[in-house]
Amino acid sequence: MKIVFTPDWFLGSDVSIEIFSFLILFIISILAFRNYKLSEKKSTLHLGLGFLFIAIAGFASVIAKFPIYYDFGIVKEIGNAVVNYDIVRTVDVFYYICFFFSRFFTLLGLYVLYKLPLERISGEFFLYVYFITIISILSQPFYYVHHFTALILIIFIINKYYKIYLKEKAGNTKILVLAFAILGLAQVVFLFSKLAFIYAVGQMIQLIAYIALLMLIIRIVQDGKKEKPSGNHSRHA
Amino acid sequence: MERKRNRVEIIHDMLRIIQERGGRIKKTHLMYKANLSHKQMTTYLKDLMKNGLIKDLKVGDKTLITVTEKGRDFFVKYAQMREFEKTFGL
Repeated sequence: MKIVFTPDWFLGSDVSIEIFSFLILFIISILAFRNYKLSEKKSTLHLGLGFLFIAIAGFASVIAKFPIYYDFGIVKEIGNAVVNYDIVRTVDVFYYICFFFSRFFTLLGLYVLYKLPLERISGEFFLYVYFITIISILSQPFYYVHHFTALILIIFIINKYYKIYLKEKAGNTKILVLAFAILGLAQVVFLFSKLAFIYAVGQMIQLIAYIALLMLIIRIVQDGKKEKPSGNHSRHA
Repeated sequence: MERKRNRVEIIHDMLRIIQERGGRIKKTHLMYKANLSHKQMTTYLKDLMKNGLIKDLKVGDKTLITVTEKGRDFFVKYAQMREFEKTFGL
């Protein structure tokens, strides 16, 4: 069974995109945790956790792909392991576990983003975690199950943020809606990623979404800097 | 009816009032302007001083309160936090 759908000419580029997306998601979660320290709002904490889960998913995928693509010691071990079938199976387990966690944390992160603010961790939450686990296991032989589930969750997230945009009319929320819409489009493309070229297109679309999220972070940070008062202590009239 | 301010909003209001008064203010004036009781005011001032957001400033025989550099940085963090919350609808 094919582990990754990346075409040969795209090997390495997809890892670079995933490292970039990991950094963006990680920065958003750090921003959320820093804001939580200030506001002590549970919803901010949960948002940070949601983005952190998706960042972990990207990290797990990078960890799995690195030994496949690059000439590390482990690659030599794989070569040696070809002689011994049992060891090959052990290496396969490493890839499957990494890709399982990648899929599991993507869906869990998206679910948390859709569901927040989580009032409290209830039995229902664990039920959803159970379903996400089952979907992540099923996605190993049927890769499209993962992308279809991610697409459904992203549609719910877009709907949620679009309602917020209609209420507040904030330009930054518009960028957020746009970024998730592009992520949704990437999931549609990934549904057909058995065709290697399509997989690369999906990754490129995903990159555009993460560039939009980077723009969003820059705008939030810049908006805050405008608020800093000068140190002038002269008294007003 | 106006919503009750949370802790971070009260701190922001206090620092904003000091800034609007030219960066220095008498404690009693701050108490009235920030709409705080004496007990609340004492607690918040202690907290702000402990965190280095404000400091005492001796002017003649009067003791005024002034915002520190760290206090001015707080405005940036607060504005970023508000923008972040507004963006994500938190």
